[in-house]
Amino acid sequence: MRPRQTIIEIFSTFLQFESDRFSGWITDPKLRRSMQNRLNSQPQPETSENFWAIYWYKVWQSQPDSAARAHLMAYLQEPCYWVASKTAASFASSQYNTSDCFQLAIAQIDKVLKGFIPDRGSVLKNYASVIFSSLMREILRQQRVVDVCTPWALLRRISHKMLLESLKAAGLSANAIAAYILAWNCFKTVYVPTAPTGTRKLDSPDLTAWKAIASLYNTERYSQLNPPGNEIQPEIVEKWLLGCEKAVRKYLYPAQTSINAPMPGQETGEMVDNLADPEQVSLLSKSIELEEEQKRQSQQLQIQGVLMAAIAKMEPTAQEMLQMYYAQGRSQQEIAVELQIKQYTVSRRLTKAKESLLLTLAQWSKDTLHISLNSQVIKDSTTLLEEWLKTHYSPSRN
Amino acid sequence: MTTDTTFLDLASATDLVLEISPAQRDRAWQQSQSFSHPSSRWRAYLNQLGLSAVLTWLQEDYNPQAAAGQTPAGLRSSWEVTNGTVVTMDGMKLVLVPSEAIDFSELRVPQEWVDLPKLAPDYYLGVQVEPDEGWVRVWGYCTHLQLKSRGSYDPSDRAYCLDETDVIKDINVLWVSRQLCPEEPTKAGIDPLPTLSLDRAENLLQRLGNPAVLNPRLAVPFPLWGALFEHGGWRQHLYNLRLGKSDLWSIRQWLQAGVSEVAVQLGWGKLEFQPSAVGAKGSESATASAILTRQLTIAGKAYELRVIPHEQLAGVWRFELQTALMGDRIPGGFKLRLLTEDLQPFENNEDVATKAVERLFIEVAIEPGEGLVWEIEPLPENYDTEILRF
Repeated sequence: MRPRQTIIEIFSTFLQFESDRFSGWITDPKLRRSMQNRLNSQPQPETSENFWAIYWYKVWQSQPDSAARAHLMAYLQEPCYWVASKTAASFASSQYNTSDCFQLAIAQIDKVLKGFIPDRGSVLKNYASVIFSSLMREILRQQRVVDVCTPWALLRRISHKMLLESLKAAGLSANAIAAYILAWNCFKTVYVPTAPTGTRKLDSPDLTAWKAIASLYNTERYSQLNPPGNEIQPEIVEKWLLGCEKAVRKYLYPAQTSINAPMPGQETGEMVDNLADPEQVSLLSKSIELEEEQKRQSQQLQIQGVLMAAIAKMEPTAQEMLQMYYAQGRSQQEIAVELQIKQYTVSRRLTKAKESLLLTLAQWSKDTLHISLNSQVIKDSTTLLEEWLKTHYSPSRN
Repeated sequence: MTTDTTFLDLASATDLVLEISPAQRDRAWQQSQSFSHPSSRWRAYLNQLGLSAVLTWLQEDYNPQAAAGQTPAGLRSSWEVTNGTVVTMDGMKLVLVPSEAIDFSELRVPQEWVDLPKLAPDYYLGVQVEPDEGWVRVWGYCTHLQLKSRGSYDPSDRAYCLDETDVIKDINVLWVSRQLCPEEPTKAGIDPLPTLSLDRAENLLQRLGNPAVLNPRLAVPFPLWGALFEHGGWRQHLYNLRLGKSDLWSIRQWLQAGVSEVAVQLGWGKLEFQPSAVGAKGSESATASAILTRQLTIAGKAYELRVIPHEQLAGVWRFELQTALMGDRIPGGFKLRLLTEDLQPFENNEDVATKAVERLFIEVAIEPGEGLVWEIEPLPENYDTEILRF
């Protein structure tokens, strides 16, 4: 992939694929104009990408519907691309190639922006890599199960909320959704696996089961549905449930065209021009930026110090596992093979090792930044830790 | 293990994946056969898998004392009607919420584990169970307070649901926050439910004890259902009715024919005295030839509760609490209390240790067929309300 050269490019262009390969950067004219205006308004245009990343992030915080989101999406194209190509390469058996992974992940940009905490030395690009990576793995993991599940197995393997969202996305009315969900609940109550394994190969219910499901529905509708609607026949329940299954598959794997990401070259609408101006002045103040940058760098150094000391105190095998996972990019399974232990042991030991690091990091936040700790603050530290581990062990540093 | 492993090679460092060995799986399957319907059987199986994997992990990596919060009979009586398993460790209570769902869009907790003061835990753990591949994943957790304040209530299945963005995915946050901010509250206030009269309870038991009622938890308003479910004795009775088992809690039958197996598992036993031994005991303690005992653990120490029929007066019974160790004393502050079946106090129903004493005891006259509930303060480990039928 050809890296982007100028600040304008970095915040206004989108990656384009051609037969799963990077083929170039496409400019969004409105974003380009917006970026150009910002630069022109400065006596000495700022050229650090980090500066602009923080700038747009702050604009996005105060105006989530503004063009800031699109600028950040442009900015995060690169980390998303690298994670996508790495993920697609590691799981070659998957149907998903790099561009699929990329599309699925970039569509989740709101999760990245909402979860990002700019203080305590966190860098948006690194944070985004961590989140994109775990999102892609999660999607691939789900997809593999979904691919081997029969319709009836799949219906048992989704959450209530997932079904609800799928039916909403399919455009059903509120009453229809309530009826479908009741039918699904009745199905789940009546039709369960009868052997300890093989849950993915669940066969179609037989007529007796369909009758039982319909009969449960017909009783429950009086207490569960308002209005209770009509009595239904077994064939109708079956039809509804197959409808549910279809809606779920469609929701889980939308056709590429329907992914809610701005298409390269497409104008991003009227949002670009509605930025509030007074915001810019203070945000663009050079001295504030410098101060923040210095603060961040000093915090990063301190975090580096305490975490490296904590790692040095760990048992050699724990250190080795962190090294293998983060520096060599090996999977839990590969580590297990190498160390001749079970993967479950690797999973548990990595969790334990990271508990002590999280404790160190949280303690440091409390002592140094005088942050009063609660589980929310500690939760925020987990991604900071993950980000740090990935950066610390990344081969480019060594 | 199957070859189409979907999870293991995709696990990230943050994923906590626990093993279910084939032996554990077989045992879980065998232990989940005594239920009224395939759906409760399946629910029990998933809960059992989650429990055994999580307990092994907690015991090996955190605290060997971690244990299920209910006896096997108590667990069965819950799984027959709802999802969720209580685990206790380090003085905290966790409810495991197993699910087969492949997505983590929400943590969905049955209302029984949220709105009942005796059962509400400090934490809920989302547990994804994958029986085909033999693993369990602890995918996130939240506190009771978070669930109540940020979750939404879904009346269609009477559950509190917390959106995935509010669920804390990394379990390490739980351990670290307990170390660094132990004062952070975990529980929201819960109003107790109105008490259920004996008539009302018997009525409900008859109706919901019919196994054709597939979802008893949704069949009556929650305040009624909750009061029934929270009462361990009634819950046990409901389970027996749904499985067509006769009442296994008859004291007279225990004395005549032996203690039922369910009760033996809980620590009940029968003690028979030789006539000479009776004489040696003197007249102060009852001199029956057979008495019932229940082993208890309170604050890590072993105690014994004894139920003794009066030698001369039919219908009079003596309840005694003493330590299991000869010559040891019950610490001051302990209370032994008897209640009617619907948990109402009555006159002289309590004995309190104002200082360290050898034993606490209460004598009561009981009508045949009447039920009694015993309570001890502090609460014995794994305590669940039991109804003794006389």
